[in-house]
Amino acid sequence: MQHIIKYSINNLAFIFLFCATINAQNDSIVSSISDLPKVETDSIKIQNKYGLRIGADVSKLVRSFIDDNYKGFEVIGDFRLTRKIYLAAEIGTEEKITDTDFLKATTTGSYIKAGVDYNLYKNWLDMENMIYGGFRVGASTFSHTLNDYTIYSQDQYWTPQFSSDTSEDFDGLTAIWTEIVFGIKAELFNNLYFGLNVQFKGLISETEPSNFENLYIPGFNKTYDSGRFGFGYGYTISYLIPIYKKDKALAVEE
Amino acid sequence: MKKAIILFLLFLALINCERDDICPETTPTTPHLIIRLYDISNQESNKNASKMRIQGVGNSEVLEDYNIVTTDSIVLPLKTDATVTEFSLHKDYEVDNNGTPTDPSDDIILGNEDILTITYATKKEYVSRACGYKTIFENVIVTQEDDGDNWIQLIQSVDDILTVDNENAAHYKIFH
Repeated sequence: MQHIIKYSINNLAFIFLFCATINAQNDSIVSSISDLPKVETDSIKIQNKYGLRIGADVSKLVRSFIDDNYKGFEVIGDFRLTRKIYLAAEIGTEEKITDTDFLKATTTGSYIKAGVDYNLYKNWLDMENMIYGGFRVGASTFSHTLNDYTIYSQDQYWTPQFSSDTSEDFDGLTAIWTEIVFGIKAELFNNLYFGLNVQFKGLISETEPSNFENLYIPGFNKTYDSGRFGFGYGYTISYLIPIYKKDKALAVEE
Repeated sequence: MKKAIILFLLFLALINCERDDICPETTPTTPHLIIRLYDISNQESNKNASKMRIQGVGNSEVLEDYNIVTTDSIVLPLKTDATVTEFSLHKDYEVDNNGTPTDPSDDIILGNEDILTITYATKKEYVSRACGYKTIFENVIVTQEDDGDNWIQLIQSVDDILTVDNENAAHYKIFH
């Protein structure tokens, strides 16, 4: 029981104070290992779980409930390839209403992102937490509906300006981008992981709608006038389906 | 790792600072119709119209910048929700108050008023996230009503395209 509590506390600390705990835990690794009697260290045989981890982005679910202009869902998955390298992918669908002073447009579409996560965190014993950096390539197919607009004119001598609420569709649009991901994943309960991540995106190509602009790209998120970059974040919950176990080769090597 | 985090936090701050939700004044949006005034007897040279007062027909306000000015250049806003805009170009505008400055009922307005009628087709053109759409005007034709005493002698388009989609140069010439 004491062991379980210690485990949970360690995990919680990992989530809420992860910056600070990097150093703290690293210190403890060194000291704890050197404190251990030789005979015992040799007998330690730590195994890591390898398998498929699948889950969902909770932030998109929460936002779907609280933001009237947003509906989205994303399934996440990763597969542990080596001790540090994971193949990772996300598949999602989004509907976003962009509402500015002069126009209102609804974007709907779906996307897929695939790439690799690299675990930068040295785990203590058989813990399987991650502080990771990753790389993704993303692709999206989507469409916009221009719901309404009002003509912009600096000169307000004649008012009002022309406005229209006849909707107009811009279909068959695609975009491709790359992402750098930074995040953490912590095992809260056995095989159940909670994660946070931020994504920095760079647009590679997009089909521009004629006489309109991709204000939002599902998966890429909001676009910016000043460049081809984008930004995203996620809170994830995922479950590990263990497929096999492998000895942690470097358990006592320091 | 720590450096990278700091870098990206900075990056984040930059994203948040960016204002792309306000349409900047420098962005060209719905253009004005630009008319230059020329001398009818020497068609290469500009000629001022004196004491010009311009007001849109159906608008109770005088056009800003054209409340009795001497100028050879006229910049007119066109209605974006219609295909016809009319302006009164009143030259040598002067009010004779009949010796009673406090009583406007017996005032006589002097000068020569010509009515310009501008017909066109409107087309929307995308500008940006913050500015949305602007209107460009196609097939712009400027005519005047013949009132028997027109100060405007001749109206001429600068080209055959008849499109007002920017404010880089004049679109029409008026000779007087």
